[in-house]
Amino acid sequence: MSETAQLPRRSHSVARLTNFAFVLPAVVLFVVFIAYPILWVAQNSLLSAGSEGGTRYAGLTHYIDILSNPTFWTVVRNMFLWGVITIPVQMVIGGVLAYCIERHTRAWRGFFRTAFFLPVVTSVSVVSLVWVQIYAPYYGIAQEYLKHIGITLTYSPIGDPKTAIYALIIVNIWQWTGFSMLMYIAGIANMPPEVLDAARVDGARGWRLAVHVIIPMLAPSTKSLLMLGVIGTLQTFPIVHLMTGGGPNCASEVFGTFIFKQSFILGDTGSGAALSVLVLMIALVLSVLQIVFLGTQQSSAKGRSA
Amino acid sequence: MFRKQMLATLAALMTSTAATADETEVTVWSWFVQSTMEKPIAAFEEKYPDIKVKYTYYNYSPEYITALKAAAASDSLPDVIGLQPGSLTQQYREHLTSVNDMAAAEWGADWADNIFPVNRRQVLMGNPEGDEGYYIVPQESQVLCIWYNRKIFDTLGLSAPQTYDDLKAAATALTEGGYIPMFQGAADGWQNENVFLMLANQFSAGITDKAQAGEVPWTSPGLVSAMNAWKGLFDDGIFQQGALGAHAYPTGAQLLAQGKVGMMALGSWWMQESKFPPPLSEYVENMDGFDFFYMPPVPGSTQPSPPVGGIDIGYGLTKNGAENESAWTFLTELTNGVGLQQALNDLNDLPAFKGHEPQGEVSDHVKQMYARFMEDLPNAENQRFAIPAIAEALDNALAGVAAGELNAEDALASVQAATDKALGQ
Repeated sequence: MSETAQLPRRSHSVARLTNFAFVLPAVVLFVVFIAYPILWVAQNSLLSAGSEGGTRYAGLTHYIDILSNPTFWTVVRNMFLWGVITIPVQMVIGGVLAYCIERHTRAWRGFFRTAFFLPVVTSVSVVSLVWVQIYAPYYGIAQEYLKHIGITLTYSPIGDPKTAIYALIIVNIWQWTGFSMLMYIAGIANMPPEVLDAARVDGARGWRLAVHVIIPMLAPSTKSLLMLGVIGTLQTFPIVHLMTGGGPNCASEVFGTFIFKQSFILGDTGSGAALSVLVLMIALVLSVLQIVFLGTQQSSAKGRSA
Repeated sequence: MFRKQMLATLAALMTSTAATADETEVTVWSWFVQSTMEKPIAAFEEKYPDIKVKYTYYNYSPEYITALKAAAASDSLPDVIGLQPGSLTQQYREHLTSVNDMAAAEWGADWADNIFPVNRRQVLMGNPEGDEGYYIVPQESQVLCIWYNRKIFDTLGLSAPQTYDDLKAAATALTEGGYIPMFQGAADGWQNENVFLMLANQFSAGITDKAQAGEVPWTSPGLVSAMNAWKGLFDDGIFQQGALGAHAYPTGAQLLAQGKVGMMALGSWWMQESKFPPPLSEYVENMDGFDFFYMPPVPGSTQPSPPVGGIDIGYGLTKNGAENESAWTFLTELTNGVGLQQALNDLNDLPAFKGHEPQGEVSDHVKQMYARFMEDLPNAENQRFAIPAIAEALDNALAGVAAGELNAEDALASVQAATDKALGQ
C-alpha cells in the first residue's frame, strides 16, 4: 500500500479518536452519576442484611414483599391521582393565566407574572408550614376568614385519610401553576403575530381563536409541561414529607416518602432499593409512551404540514 | 528597625504555626440546634484550649439521617455523632466503638451505676444477645408529662385533673373559654407514641416493652384498653378538632407558649422555652404560666400514668473517632462534664448521669418542677422502641384508630404482625 493511501486513513482514525474524546466527558459523567448508581441500587434490591453484618443474596424477596404490601398499592393510587389531577389542572389554569396576562394586561403585566410565579420560587418548607396553618381548624388562617361568614372548620383535610391526598394536591397545584403559566407565556411570546392576524382576518375570535389557533400552536409548551409533570409527579417528596409524613396511616404516602421510610427510617435498604427500581421501571414505561405518542403526533404534524 | 520587625513577624508566625500543629480537631454531627451546642463547645474549648470542636448541625429528618447513612456507606463519619437509643444506634452499631473500657478508665469501674436505670436499659436496647457494649453515652434524659397553663386554669377556676372526668370537664371549660383544650400534634408519630405509652403503662407498667420484645401480644386486654382510651381522647373532645393534621412543632409549641392552649403532652424539655432569647410570653417567662401533671386514670384503669421517659439524646464515638483521643475527651465532657453543665444551665433537659443540676438564674418554681422530674426519672418506664418497624406499625395503628378507619383490636393486630415479622417469629 502506498504512503499516500495510508495518510488519509490515519487522519480519518485520528479524527474518529478526536470525536470520541469529545464524547468522553459526557460518557464518564453518565457512567459515574447515572449508570453506576442505578446498577448499585439494582444490586442492593437483591440483597438483604446478614445476621452477622454484611449482606446476603435475597433474590426477588424484596420485590415480592413490596408488591404484596397494601401500602404500595395506596402509593400507586396516590401517584395516579397526583398525576391525572395536577398535570391538567396546572396546565389549564396556567394557560388561562398566561393568556389573560399576555392579551389583556399592559402596565400590570410584570406584576401579575411575578405574583403568580412567586409560589414556584418560595421554599417548600415555608409553603408547607403556611398550608398546614391554612388547613388548621379553629385556629387556622382559613378559619380566621371563614368565621366572618359563619363557617367553622371542624377538621383538617390533611388529617383525614379520605381527603389528605387531595389536600396535598391542592398545595402542589397552588405552588406549581406559576411554572405552567411561565411556559405558556414563553409559548405565546414566540407565536408569529402574522398567523394570529391571519386568523382574525379569517374571522376567528375569542374561544374559536383560542381553541383552533392558539392552543394547537402551544403544543410544544404543552408537551414539555406534560413531560415535566410526569417527572415531577414521580419525584414528589418534600410537600408530603413536611405536611403529613405520608399519613395518616399511610393515606397520603407517595413513592418518595415510601422509599425514604423504607430506606432511612426502617433501615431496610433492600426494600428501598427494590422500590426505587420499580419507580425507575414505571418512569421508563411512561417515557416510552410519551415518546411513542407525542413523537408520532409531532412527526405526523410535520408530515401534514409538508 | 525594619529587620527587627521582620524577625518579630517571623517569630509570631512560627509560634502560631507551632500552636496550630499542637491543636487537634474533633468533628461532631448532631440535630441539636447550633445555639444549644455553642455553649457546651465554648466551655469545652476553654477547658481544653488545644482541642477545637467542629460542629455540624443537621435538621433531624430527612437531612441528618440521610447524611449519617451516606457517611457510613463511604466510611466518612465524623468523630462523634448524636444518636437516639434503640433503632438509630443499632443501625450504626457496626460503625461505633463500645466505650465500656474507656468509660471505666475515666469514671471508675462502677461508672454505669451513675446512669439512671431507664437510660441504662435504653443504651443496651437492641444489642445482640450477650453484647453488653455501650455504643452511645447518654447526655440528657426526659420525663413525659402533660403541661397545663396554670394561669388559664386559674382564670377558669380549674385545677390539675385528678380523674378522667376532671380531664373532660377541663377540656370542655377550655373549649368554651375559647382555648384549645389539649393540643395534640397527631400528624407526628412521636407525639402519638408518647401519649399511647402514657396510657398503656397505666394498665400495666412496662407492657409496651414486653410487647415489643414479643413477650406479651399487642392484642392483650391492657393494650386494647389503652388503644380505646386513645380513641376516647379524640372522641371526648380532649384533643382539639383536626388534631390528625396538626404538628406539635412549631405549631403546637407556639400556641402553647402564647397562652392559646390549655394542655399539651410534651416532656421535661419544655422548660428550655424559658431560656430562649427574649421577648418571652408571660407564660414562658420563668415558666410562670406552666406546671405539669401525669395523665389521670383513663376508663378501665385505676391509676394515673407512671413517669415514662429516658434518653433524650446520646452521643456515639465512631470508629473514626476512636483513633482521635480528643474525641473521647470531648464526649466525656459533653455527657458528664462541663458541656453537660452548660446544657443543663439552659434547662435543655434532665441529665442522664446522676449528680448534676442546673446552675445560674433559675426561678424557685422551675427548681421545684425540676426536682419533681428528677425524683421521677429513676422510676421512669421506657419510651423508646428497639425496632423501627414496630414503632412505624404502632404510628400507623394510632393514626388509623384516631381517624376511625380501624378498631383497636385490628389496629393492634397489625402491630403484632409487624412485631412477629421483625422478630422473625
